[in-house]
Amino acid sequence: MKTGGHILHIPKIEKGIVIDHIPTGHGIHILEIIRSHPEMKEVVVTLGLNYRSTKLGKKDLIKLEVQELTPRIVQHISLICPGVTIKKITDYEVDERLTVRSPQVVKNRLQCRNPNCITNHERHIETCFRLVDEQKQTFKCIYCERVFHLGELRPLIS
Amino acid sequence: MKRDLISMDDLTLEDIKEFLQLAATVEELPAGEKMTKLVGKILMVMFFEPSTRTRLSFESAMCRLGGSVIGFNHQMATSVAKGESFIDTIHTVENYADIMVIRHPREGTGRLASETSRIPVINAGDGTNQHPSQTLLDLYTIQKFFGGIEGLKIAFVGDLKYSRTVHSLIRALMKFKDQDFLLVSPDTLRLPEYLKRAEKQDTVRFHETASLKEAVSWGDLIYMTRIQKERFPDLVEYEKVKDSYCIDEKMLEHAPECLRVLHPLPRVNEISYSVDRTTYAGYFEQVGNGLIMRQAILLQLLGVAI
Ligand SMILES: [Zn+2]
Repeated sequence: MKTGGHILHIPKIEKGIVIDHIPTGHGIHILEIIRSHPEMKEVVVTLGLNYRSTKLGKKDLIKLEVQELTPRIVQHISLICPGVTIKKITDYEVDERLTVRSPQVVKNRLQCRNPNCITNHERHIETCFRLVDEQKQTFKCIYCERVFHLGELRPLIS
Repeated sequence: MKRDLISMDDLTLEDIKEFLQLAATVEELPAGEKMTKLVGKILMVMFFEPSTRTRLSFESAMCRLGGSVIGFNHQMATSVAKGESFIDTIHTVENYADIMVIRHPREGTGRLASETSRIPVINAGDGTNQHPSQTLLDLYTIQKFFGGIEGLKIAFVGDLKYSRTVHSLIRALMKFKDQDFLLVSPDTLRLPEYLKRAEKQDTVRFHETASLKEAVSWGDLIYMTRIQKERFPDLVEYEKVKDSYCIDEKMLEHAPECLRVLHPLPRVNEISYSVDRTTYAGYFEQVGNGLIMRQAILLQLLGVAI
């Protein structure tokens, strides 16, 4: 078993998934997302808050005793918290590492904020947003063509 | 793949130039030859809200190309779509025509129709969002007056905050090189900042003034818009500004000879009737150009070569 320098004070897991580099305060949001997916209901989860981080100053961290996260969950996380790192741990070592980026297209996950947008009036229509600016986290509704900050857009209840 | 005309944002500079070139060719075509181009084709005109001018312009364009027109206006729209979803209405009418033109009070209906329909869709206004044929005909008018769309000085006057026509035209002009825009509006109706952001920042310059007089001697073109009473929460404010954005013959006394005045029409009192008989009036020619550009759009989307 190797020990990895500055993260020594965070107890290591033998295998599972670690979501790292979560800006402090957002750990709880990601936990909510994960728990909203039925297949994750029984999974053992550890949430760590306010760890010291050289990159972020302070960070949150989540450990999951699970083999993998489905693409659906990863996309869901990428919407709320792009920039976090998802690590797959095998034998106490990082096996795979993925930095979550903002999705280019978000289909049927968000509701358009424009009350006069046709997506808010037609029953059988999927919403669709396209990334405009990754830094600013802005998305454009492909129907009414309005641009919104991600924080303004409510998730669709399905 | 079928082609639609939904948003100016979908068009590259090359696409726009293609439409302008095609319109110029259409204009040169003898009327008799034009009448043979779309024989047997049907245009479905679906107007869910009133806009008589745009509707007549599309209908006339189709008829002058030898095609037929069917459809409905806003008074009939409620019975056509009685309890039916917009998507179902599109699926129904696509069987009746070869191309459709839609105007609808909600934003996004043009895009939704184009995704739903097998036949080409022209967006003739979706709420406050897009009305691309208006922008294309404005560009065509400017090109005809000045021989090109680069290196021009264009003043925009009136309601620059809410005018869809102005927003769309400015964004389209910004795709061309070397533009100077003079923005003339009351303080409460200024152009939103986000519209000024260009990809090629160095070739577009914005200037601002509150004085219409300045605009008259400043540039090549004045694009007038209506200032709507409904935009003012305070009517005192409206009374103060409404007359400062009206142009008349006297104001044009010192205008450069090449100056042209455009207006998307209908006008209320922004342009005095005395301007009509001057060489500066470009707005009726603009209407004529609309007819030509809409013929070009119909030919282009139906893939008929001329
Ligand atoms: Zn929308």
